[in-house]
Amino acid sequence: MSEEIVKFKGSRSGLVLVLDTTADFAAIEQDIRTKLESGSNFFRRGTVIQVLPGVLNEEDTAKLMKLFHQYGVIFRIADNEPAAAETVAETAAEPQQPITAAAADTGLTQNMTVVNRTVRSGQEVTSQGAVLICGNVNPGAEIVAGGSIDIRGTCRGIVHAGAYGDTSAFVIADHLMPVQIRIAGLIAQAPDQIEKPDCAERASIKDGQIIIEPIER
Amino acid sequence: MSEVIVITSGKGGVGKTTTTANLGVGLAMRGKKVVLIDTDTGLRNLDLLLGLERRIVYTLVDVIQKRATYEQALVRHKKYTNLFLLPTSQVADKTAINPEQMAELIAQMRNDFDYILIDCPAGIEQGFQTAIIGADWAIVVTMPEISAVRDADKIIGRLQAEHKEIKLIVNRIRPQMVKEGTMLDMTSIDDILSIECIGQVPDDEKVVDSANRGVPVVEWDSSQAGQAYRNIVGRMCGEKISFMEFPTEGFFTRLKHVFGH
Ligand SMILES: Nc1ncnc2c1ncn2[C@@H]1O[C@H](COP(=O)(O)OP(=O)(O)OP(=O)(O)O)[C@@H](O)[C@H]1O
Ligand SMILES: [Mg+2]
Repeated sequence: MSEEIVKFKGSRSGLVLVLDTTADFAAIEQDIRTKLESGSNFFRRGTVIQVLPGVLNEEDTAKLMKLFHQYGVIFRIADNEPAAAETVAETAAEPQQPITAAAADTGLTQNMTVVNRTVRSGQEVTSQGAVLICGNVNPGAEIVAGGSIDIRGTCRGIVHAGAYGDTSAFVIADHLMPVQIRIAGLIAQAPDQIEKPDCAERASIKDGQIIIEPIER
Repeated sequence: MSEVIVITSGKGGVGKTTTTANLGVGLAMRGKKVVLIDTDTGLRNLDLLLGLERRIVYTLVDVIQKRATYEQALVRHKKYTNLFLLPTSQVADKTAINPEQMAELIAQMRNDFDYILIDCPAGIEQGFQTAIIGADWAIVVTMPEISAVRDADKIIGRLQAEHKEIKLIVNRIRPQMVKEGTMLDMTSIDDILSIECIGQVPDDEKVVDSANRGVPVVEWDSSQAGQAYRNIVGRMCGEKISFMEFPTEGFFTRLKHVFGH
């Protein structure tokens, strides 16, 4: 497949819809529909997606609003020119670059995404705020959260907390055994042999390093 | 009441076609009216496992493109006359059939059979969508290997998103290796997939032999894999059958019972 015509980028003020303006609207609409129907839980119900003013005309905006609405997603035109240039799409690709924007003061970490099932290989849960998974995170699954991540189950996938730079974010799981943990701009890799821990653990940043410690709950 | 079941896996070569042939013959041996649909267009081999290649006249692609009715394309099994194969084309590719066309065909066929089993191609592209669309539920086949389980997990996620009920068959188990800890055991597989298991099939040389002869092992009394397939057929028909014990050197090991939990 060539360059995607529809992209969703995270920014400080939420998810932003970025369009290939050379593509025709029917193709854009179809692409969005396919993504929404794909069943992966990229968009939780109640997710807000914004588009920069002037990108779409009124008629097309209304059509997309209706389409997103069918999937419980709120679509609107961003009211002020957001600092959308500062997206997380790039930082996700190159996470070793420290991300400076702090999400904590924007209040983004207040809302929580709750997923009541096991997240399986190839599935992704992305949220501006915190994420609570009541189920397992399987190998090959990815959780990306602006805030902290709490897994009431076994975590064997990839988890990224504080994805927009919040270094106070943490990851908790009943059995924390991911292949990789990312918090803000830091990455920690699992050792070659992962033993199943018998108590809940929390990963957080201490002295510029990701550390894992047992917790009670 | 007919049941439409797709047999799928994600990873290729784990035993979907073998499973389809054995369950089809097994159900037919119990007097059910069964049709097996091969959707692996371009790479068909279900006909070979059933010894029916020479009898094929029309294919699924002919039916979809309205050059034949599905009744004309059905190939009747030599021994079990209530078993039919709807073969696919060896020369066309997966784009020859789209999911909507398949759904329409299944809707048309479903009242004529007790069971419709659909053999799915490997992968998650159009062929997969076409194979699963008309199914009431799915059997996911996997092997006790990390990569096969990972791909099964991905497929399970896709199927759950389509609200399909799923049951698991673990194929090619080597009890000796499980015992030595060099092969994933049922507990570790269940830990990740957490799907109801309806079959644990041992690795059995007779499966290869039977494929060459066009007679599935489910018909062979002496085959362990054959017994495992007969047990699955029984479970599909609502019987409570516990999992087999496979002999390993000197001992008997019991694989964890995960059926029905
Ligand atoms: N239980 C078994 N014991 C021994 N060999 C087996 C067993 N099950 C399958 N095989 C062998 O594994 C090979 C692959 O099986 P099969 O063709 O059924 O897989 P498949 O999932 O349909 O493959 P594809 O993805 O290519 O369609 C065949 O050679 C078959 O004989
Ligand atoms: Mg096959």
